[in-house]
Amino acid sequence: MWSRSKTADLTEGRAPALRFPAPVSAWPASHPEGRIPQAQTASRFRRIPVYRQKYIFLLPGLLVLIAVILFPLLFTIRVSFSSWDVYNPGLNNAGGAMYARMWDDARYWEALRRLSVLSISTVLIQYVLGFALALLVWREIAARRFFRVLFLVPMMTTPVVMSVIWRTIFHESLGPLNPILDAIGIGAQPWLSQPGFAFAAVMVVEIWQWTPFMFLLLLAGLLSLPSEPFLAAKVDGAGPIRTFLSVTFPMMGAISVGAILIRAIEASKIMETVYVLTSGGPGTSTETVSYYIYIRGMRDFQIGYSAALSLTYLIIMAVALTLIAKALMRLMVRGAQA
Amino acid sequence: MLHLEDLSLSEGGVPHLAGISLKFKPGLTTLLGRTGAGKTTLLRAIAGLVQPAGRISFNGEDWSHIPPWRRPVAMVTQQFINYPHLNVLDNLAFPLIRRGEEKAAAREAARDMLGRVGLAQMASRRPSELSGGQQQRVAIARALVKGAPILLLDEPFVNLDYNLREGMREELSALLHATRTTVIYASTDPREALRMGDAVVLMSEGRALQSGPPRAVFTAPETLEAAKVVNDPPVNLLGADLSDTGLEIDHLGAAPRDSITGLPPGRYTLALRAEDIRQGGDLMARVALTEVTGSETVTHLDAGGQPLVMLERRIADHALGQNLCITPDLSRALVYGADGRLIAKGGQNG
Repeated sequence: MWSRSKTADLTEGRAPALRFPAPVSAWPASHPEGRIPQAQTASRFRRIPVYRQKYIFLLPGLLVLIAVILFPLLFTIRVSFSSWDVYNPGLNNAGGAMYARMWDDARYWEALRRLSVLSISTVLIQYVLGFALALLVWREIAARRFFRVLFLVPMMTTPVVMSVIWRTIFHESLGPLNPILDAIGIGAQPWLSQPGFAFAAVMVVEIWQWTPFMFLLLLAGLLSLPSEPFLAAKVDGAGPIRTFLSVTFPMMGAISVGAILIRAIEASKIMETVYVLTSGGPGTSTETVSYYIYIRGMRDFQIGYSAALSLTYLIIMAVALTLIAKALMRLMVRGAQA
Repeated sequence: MLHLEDLSLSEGGVPHLAGISLKFKPGLTTLLGRTGAGKTTLLRAIAGLVQPAGRISFNGEDWSHIPPWRRPVAMVTQQFINYPHLNVLDNLAFPLIRRGEEKAAAREAARDMLGRVGLAQMASRRPSELSGGQQQRVAIARALVKGAPILLLDEPFVNLDYNLREGMREELSALLHATRTTVIYASTDPREALRMGDAVVLMSEGRALQSGPPRAVFTAPETLEAAKVVNDPPVNLLGADLSDTGLEIDHLGAAPRDSITGLPPGRYTLALRAEDIRQGGDLMARVALTEVTGSETVTHLDAGGQPLVMLERRIADHALGQNLCITPDLSRALVYGADGRLIAKGGQNG
């Protein structure tokens, strides 16, 4: 038997019932949030069928779109069928003469071939370097934040300014590069006066300038990956290289395609680097399509011809980039998952 | 045999493993402990995902310098971990291909395992297209298909609903029954440990408190800390002074002297399971909280400042603040000395 008992001095209590606000449908018509005033319901706007109201909201955007994209495009098409130049300024009707001239313009097709080589090679190198740098600072390493910012510095500089700096670096008698190459026994090189070297110089500047952009996108992709599959891969017998090939790379497929396409679109418009660094030279050895169109349109003032060149270039690029996107999706996203 | 010797690991001054030495034989051993007890860290150490001080060896081979991808270990975690970019079949084939098997043979083995876990129809789906239970089934199947001699299961069913959890536990037991695998199963649920394991290891604050057959460990936890780990609902701990004339329980008052026999006078702690407190009697206690769990009722009581937990095998409707008459059955209490070690069981000198 217990010798003493304790009785708590408390009244029997139950938790009070919770009260929730009444549903909207239960509000009275006079409630400030319950009904729209009658005058508004009778407005003209309300008499327009609901499925048509959306067009009214879309109209401002559509007008801006027409003004900044559609009109210039249509105007360019019209100009390309004229022989507008410095001697015959104005819209005449030249039929397909400009396109026929373009067909025989070897300089244009050579610029297009050069651009293709330049774009594909620089974007691929940027992708490889960007991925490597992103992998480097993805995991815990010393001064990780410092390196992340450091790798972005080239992208933060204005392209024209960066090209001027590189032109100084590559300068054959005044630049610092040749004395360095001399000192290490390679010897001075004709960076900007020989076609092959000039083309390499343009590539170097492009890669230097835009690898950080690739790095940024790929690092963002890597940081968004879930960590669990990597843990599973370790336990499932995949070492670091196999984990990269079988887990990291396939999981980065979609973001890789996005990054490559964005850079490919940008690279296909390369202009300022060529303009500042080589002016398309020596001769026409570093001339790209954009630069050639600039020369024909803005320097020679052959507006009709440059419009035909521009439109053809636009169509070629749209088709090429669509095909590249499809191929990359098959190769890097669906192929990696199979 | 998997042999752990003096494993220690600290992060930021917080010990995750504190000198753990254990031996695991083939069969299912349950690591039982509350959240933060070090169960997951221990499993990760065995898998090689963290590097503790000490030594891990398997069948005499030192694993200190063997990276995780070369250890003969499979692991399932509480998150549903699969490869999101692979379909279910390729998820299962992945560890086999990594081990060097032909792709076709690996896929065949994977297909066979999918059939055994009831997911044959899901082979071409991505993990994201499956339910949570199915995703975890894929993860378990991937671990099983590897056929590793050591299988680490880190609360694999904790994120599943009750029915699915029960079903999958049965399935896993059946799948493991025929193998000679060393299975280490981390759990926070004492009932799960009691039901599933051939052996149990109690863990708290990175230490292994006690190990042995589940029934022996559950009926006689060697320390107060172990008694806290093996009991759910929580065990009632009562401070008591035993003298030649009687037994005085803190807050509750004098209890029958013959409740504890064979012990010298002194200060003791009585550990009384929740089911050993019954309704009826002349000790009054106020209801502080009532939890109905399926077919049982756990009632938290306040008996004059002494918190008590009572388990009833029925659905009871105790109102908050209501006074109940209860009887603690001290004859079933575990008695611990001042050093926290078990000295008597069920009121008898141990």
